[in-house]
Amino acid sequence: MAGKRAAKQNQDERPAVPDGVAVVALPADCRLAAQAALQAELVAALERGAGVALDASAVERVDTAALQLLVLLRRELASRDGALAWRGASAAFNEAAGLLGLARILELPAAGPA
Amino acid sequence: MGAVDLTQFHKTFFEESLEGLDAMETALLALDSGSTDHELVHTIFRAAHSIKGGAATFGFADVAAFTHVAESLLEEVRSERRAVDGALIDLLLRSVDCLRAMLARSSSGQPAADAGSETLRGELLRLVSGEAAAAPGAAAPQAAAVDGWDIRFVALPHLLQTGNDPLRLFRELEQLGRLEVRRAFVLDSAPARLAELDPSQCHLGWELRLHGAIARGDVDAVFDWLDGDCELAIEALSGQARAAAAQPAPAAAPPAVAPASATAPAAPPAREATASATASAEASSIRVGIDKVDALINMMGELVITQSMLSDIGEHFDFTKLERLREGLAQLERNTRELQESVMRIRMLPIGSVFNRFPRLVRDLERKLGKQVRLELHGEHTELDKTVLEKIGDPLVHLVRNAIDHGLETPEKRRAAGKPDAGTLTLDAHHEGGNIIVRISDDGAGLNRAAIVGKAVERGLVQPGQQLSDEEVAELIFAPGFSTAAQATDLSGRGVGMDVVRRNVRDLGGSVGVKSEAGKGSVFTIALPLTLAIIDGLVTAVGEERYIVPLTSIVESLRLGAEAVRRIAGGGEVFQFRGDYLPLMRLHRAFACAGAITEVERGIVVVIEDDGRRVGLLVDDLLGQQQAVIKSLEKHYQRVQGVSGATILSDGSVALIVDVGGVVRLGQRSKAA
Repeated sequence: MAGKRAAKQNQDERPAVPDGVAVVALPADCRLAAQAALQAELVAALERGAGVALDASAVERVDTAALQLLVLLRRELASRDGALAWRGASAAFNEAAGLLGLARILELPAAGPA
Repeated sequence: MGAVDLTQFHKTFFEESLEGLDAMETALLALDSGSTDHELVHTIFRAAHSIKGGAATFGFADVAAFTHVAESLLEEVRSERRAVDGALIDLLLRSVDCLRAMLARSSSGQPAADAGSETLRGELLRLVSGEAAAAPGAAAPQAAAVDGWDIRFVALPHLLQTGNDPLRLFRELEQLGRLEVRRAFVLDSAPARLAELDPSQCHLGWELRLHGAIARGDVDAVFDWLDGDCELAIEALSGQARAAAAQPAPAAAPPAVAPASATAPAAPPAREATASATASAEASSIRVGIDKVDALINMMGELVITQSMLSDIGEHFDFTKLERLREGLAQLERNTRELQESVMRIRMLPIGSVFNRFPRLVRDLERKLGKQVRLELHGEHTELDKTVLEKIGDPLVHLVRNAIDHGLETPEKRRAAGKPDAGTLTLDAHHEGGNIIVRISDDGAGLNRAAIVGKAVERGLVQPGQQLSDEEVAELIFAPGFSTAAQATDLSGRGVGMDVVRRNVRDLGGSVGVKSEAGKGSVFTIALPLTLAIIDGLVTAVGEERYIVPLTSIVESLRLGAEAVRRIAGGGEVFQFRGDYLPLMRLHRAFACAGAITEVERGIVVVIEDDGRRVGLLVDDLLGQQQAVIKSLEKHYQRVQGVSGATILSDGSVALIVDVGGVVRLGQRSKAA
């Protein structure tokens, strides 16, 4: 929980988003039920073509399917020479990505003070 | 959850487990013949795994404990830490037999385990723990020599839908020891574009390393119930070299599922069963393909349409509608025939369920007899009436045993004859006309003419010095009591000879014959009717009654003059037919029919034959030939001597079907009297 608060505090210092980069905030409950909507949002962001910035700082619950969505987003972005930026990630999100060994693929910045 | 009565599922569990064991056996035999298909190992493992799961769920602790050990052994094979050899397959086949027996005991409420199963379990356990622990002594804990586990875990697309999230699994693994994700990767099955992804499908795979001295069982427990939802390979981090040293059998490390021939002991390796795995369906229920049921429903629909059309015509009938009525009736006839065929087809099962038992039988026999056999199965999908199928098993087993025991030679003899070491035994089933033909052929020595004739002379079946054609010699082996006991073994010389085979096949309305060529082999051919439910019969009139004589047993119909019939002592009558005196049976007397023709010269004599014996039946008249759907008399009335069943004629009256065997026996008795 401490990590989550820390992540929220970090929000103020997060890197500025370059113009045209779509920002997608992940919902608190990122599990399967939310994913159709999230997928649509990510696809739309992808289509804008200037890269995607993700904000996972509000995420409290996440599952493998959600991380898989992001991995595929990352992959398609790379194939289009788009960049993936992070505007923050909650401790829960970092822990899940770390456990599944996906943090590096997702280019997650080193986990916060958690 | 409330208390659920699990006993209601027991029957299903037993059925499924037995099917699983059949699949295991088939796959083991395929492995034994040198197949290196890794899918076979998976099949065997999956079967053992679900039996274990089911047994544990339903409280058959003995079965679960036994399967657990077998599964551990299989897991080592699956993860390529143990090579497959003849000894291992032997052991696993014995485990399959043992499990069958255990399930049988469980289903009858007895304790599943017995001394035999415990011994075998101990044997399995020693093998498993000897390997994993790599320490001398069977009691060494599995985890002792392990520094950790390398786990390759690849999700199958539907993994997430089963509610198994890798996240949760990894958390569980973390509880066991330090978990290191060495690599996470996206599978090729993943769509290239995010938009095309179905989020509920998983396309990820991992290479994990779990550090620590962790028992294999604990790792397995995490992945329990994921079978079929992921591809999993678990390998010990170290201890492989030591395991190899401790195990006299092939080393654990080389890629497993090496061809059996590389390591097989004395056992003859050259054999392949080209059996396709067809699940055997037995017992009291039939599994019917959904296509057959659909066809039936379609047909029913047609029938309803025809019926409504006909009733429409009948409602306001006048003669202008006569043509339409005819059309409708023709259509009704067509529908009925098709419906009949569809219904009959439900009883038809592929002969593969009988063929499936042969790879095992052949394997056991070749070891026992020191012969090498290549078994080829053809036409397993040929369909046969269920009743015929159930009864043809034993005769076929007998013929296969005979072929291997007496027909095929030992490798030495074969080599001397310029043949390959392994004899070929072929089972083939196919349709021919209205019959199913099953052929059992071998490329062995053929029938031993001298031995057969010698035996026949000894038994008084033929005169010494009598000239016999090859066909006549071949016929001799079907003679009652004929068994070439000189070469009898515990396999095929049990007093039940080929005469029993012929008897059984005849009872099914079929025939069996043999063709043999010295030095080249023998071919046994069994012809079976497609179904027992319908016969082709000759309708005869006796007084007011109608009797149906099966067409297959009729030799000839003839008119006799009064002078041709002779009375013999004891009241019997005989007549001369092709140089032989046959008993004459007056059907009206045998069945006490009123108003029948009693003078021989006014009636017709139908000569029928059963098992080489002939009898003439006196009937009033022949009315024609007809297919008769057999109805059981026993079921509807009671058993009647001389009658095998009844059928309903087109005019709605009942006709009885003559039991040729019974009538002939009656006739012979009266002649003897």
